[in-house]
Amino acid sequence: MDFALFANLAFNGLIEGAVIALPAVALTLVFGVMGFPNASTGDVMTAGAYAAQTGQIAMAGSIVAGVIVGSVASALLALVFYLCVFRFFQGRPSMYALVASIGLAFATRSTLTFFLGYDQRVFPIPLTRAFSFGPLRIVPSDLYILATSVGAIVLVFLLLYVTPLGRRMRAVADNPDLARSCGISSHRVLSAMWLIAGAVTGLGGILFGIKTVITPLMGWEALLPAFAAMILGGIGNPAGAIAGALTIGIAQELSTPFVGFTYKIGVGFAIMVLALVLRPSGLFNLSARVR
Amino acid sequence: MVGTPFTRRSVLLSAGATAIAGTLGLPSIAWSQSDRFIVGALNPVSGAGSPYGPAMQASIVMAADEINAAGGAAGRMIEVIGEDTQSAPDAAVTAAKKLIEVNKVDAILGTWSSGVSLAVMPLALAAGIPQAVTSGAPQISELDDKDLIWRFNASNVLFGTAFAKAAAAFGFERPATMAFNNASGIGNSEGFTEAWTADGGEVVAEVVYEPNRASYRSELQRVMSANPDVIVAGSYLPDTTILLREWYQLGGTNKWIIPGWAFGPQLVEALGPDVLEGVIVVDSISNESAASYDHYAKMFAENAGPNLTRSVYSTIAYDMMITFGLAIEAAGPGASIAEINAKIREVASPGGTEVFTFAEGKEALKNGDINYQGASSRLDFDEFGDAKPDFAAAVIRNGELVRSEVITL
Repeated sequence: MDFALFANLAFNGLIEGAVIALPAVALTLVFGVMGFPNASTGDVMTAGAYAAQTGQIAMAGSIVAGVIVGSVASALLALVFYLCVFRFFQGRPSMYALVASIGLAFATRSTLTFFLGYDQRVFPIPLTRAFSFGPLRIVPSDLYILATSVGAIVLVFLLLYVTPLGRRMRAVADNPDLARSCGISSHRVLSAMWLIAGAVTGLGGILFGIKTVITPLMGWEALLPAFAAMILGGIGNPAGAIAGALTIGIAQELSTPFVGFTYKIGVGFAIMVLALVLRPSGLFNLSARVR
Repeated sequence: MVGTPFTRRSVLLSAGATAIAGTLGLPSIAWSQSDRFIVGALNPVSGAGSPYGPAMQASIVMAADEINAAGGAAGRMIEVIGEDTQSAPDAAVTAAKKLIEVNKVDAILGTWSSGVSLAVMPLALAAGIPQAVTSGAPQISELDDKDLIWRFNASNVLFGTAFAKAAAAFGFERPATMAFNNASGIGNSEGFTEAWTADGGEVVAEVVYEPNRASYRSELQRVMSANPDVIVAGSYLPDTTILLREWYQLGGTNKWIIPGWAFGPQLVEALGPDVLEGVIVVDSISNESAASYDHYAKMFAENAGPNLTRSVYSTIAYDMMITFGLAIEAAGPGASIAEINAKIREVASPGGTEVFTFAEGKEALKNGDINYQGASSRLDFDEFGDAKPDFAAAVIRNGELVRSEVITL
């Protein structure tokens, strides 16, 4: 009985962690390369979810088409933010870009609510019943969410560590001037990085929206846990961000029999603080960073 | 909104024009206080309360017109100044400050949602003016140390009591509660548990959950492991959507009792009729059998225009203005705000002659006490200044609400 309870709690935490891992990876990519915490990430999530839902309905209810529309839309939105705003803050104190990103977050949210209102929306997906797998109660849609998240993360890692683009990206992150003198166009590399970060962010928003409901504030509310995951994993380290998200997700759920449901969020942040006291550079050490 | 008789702007403009005319004519406040009674209609015109706010404001204006048409209250004409809370506490505080400091209002009517009402309350209490609210949080009664706050709706504790009556009426024996972690959600659950255990019942599980989570599976699994026959939710629309979806996916078989404000067409659209079949929805209802209700419904149909929808809240807003009008009349010419405030409970309490409109009340006051029977409820304010409406339990059948019980507490 007790084992079954904890197994289910851990599984629920795993799914929550897998959803938060996506914006956490995007945050850490941007932080690693551009050097600022991008507070517009949450609202790009929201925009991706709205775009995907609209796309799904336009495409005769195909959720795959919706996911593609949503990811592309959020990738383009992130690219526009880079080209129109963040590009001009390179080499300046990171506070400038942070404040600009908060402004973009508000602008995105206000634009969405102006045209779409405050009413909640849902992805029209048929509901499925859970099945038993040993002690676990598993809802099939959660498995799809997990698979999508894992697939996206694998793709990002392949891009970063296998392709020439990823190598150039890491070179630019490490030393922009040296990279330029080696003939790498930092502008093109950064554009590619923003597209990737935006697509991953939007996908996180879509999965969050599929699991819950789409509201104008959903992304903003998810921003803090994503920040915590990024910090726990070591800033600039994509693998660390994923480990951070899963650790926080699972620990929060496992703590509920002891601290109750209202304090589990506090547990997530307590773990972050504790980990930083023990390992100030995050779960993974500096050498494993993007740069 | 444009083109309806009562847009926010037209209310503001007309009120503004009157205010300016008044100031130019005789700029003394003493004059304004003896000849006029200025009401701030502080309603959720935009934001989450926007389905209700415009009709609330229009209803307050309609009631003021009704009072003025009957010759005013104790010789005073009612003047309404509309403002928008944007359904948000910070915007509401700014608007309330403006109403109190610039417009010098004598009362604030119609704040909606507990967060807004609680934020505006300190301003009204400090200014010594009464405030009439539609919100449910129990803290509103607790923080009202001057008896200036009038709740024209049920408190969440009373809602919880109605939930307990509904659960008993449907024959449930093993209820569990799930509460959204705020004053309103927890108030609901605590009211339910108090009423249910007072009747000797047992609550098998109680969970308070956080807003904005990616999932409520762990919370649901905890509650469902206690094997309840009904889950009583103190919830809102978005979290109710997630709770019911995950509960269905986990194969839940128990019933649900949810508050009226958590149900709407969006819930049916989100989940489909199958998941919702048999869910019980409890809400406060207007005083449907009273003549005042018919009077208000007819007046609204004639005056409100096509873009405004009558609701429980617009009916409450109408009652607020009429009740204040009767209190002004009862307090007599030249009465202070405190003297008027002291009459509010008196004009709507059992014992006096039952009246159903302002004109009737004004006439009957010449011969003694009155008991205004509101369109929204009998009112009958208790010692905390809370009204006591009736409730109805409805069952969702094929995506539609089918009323099954009227609950009188």
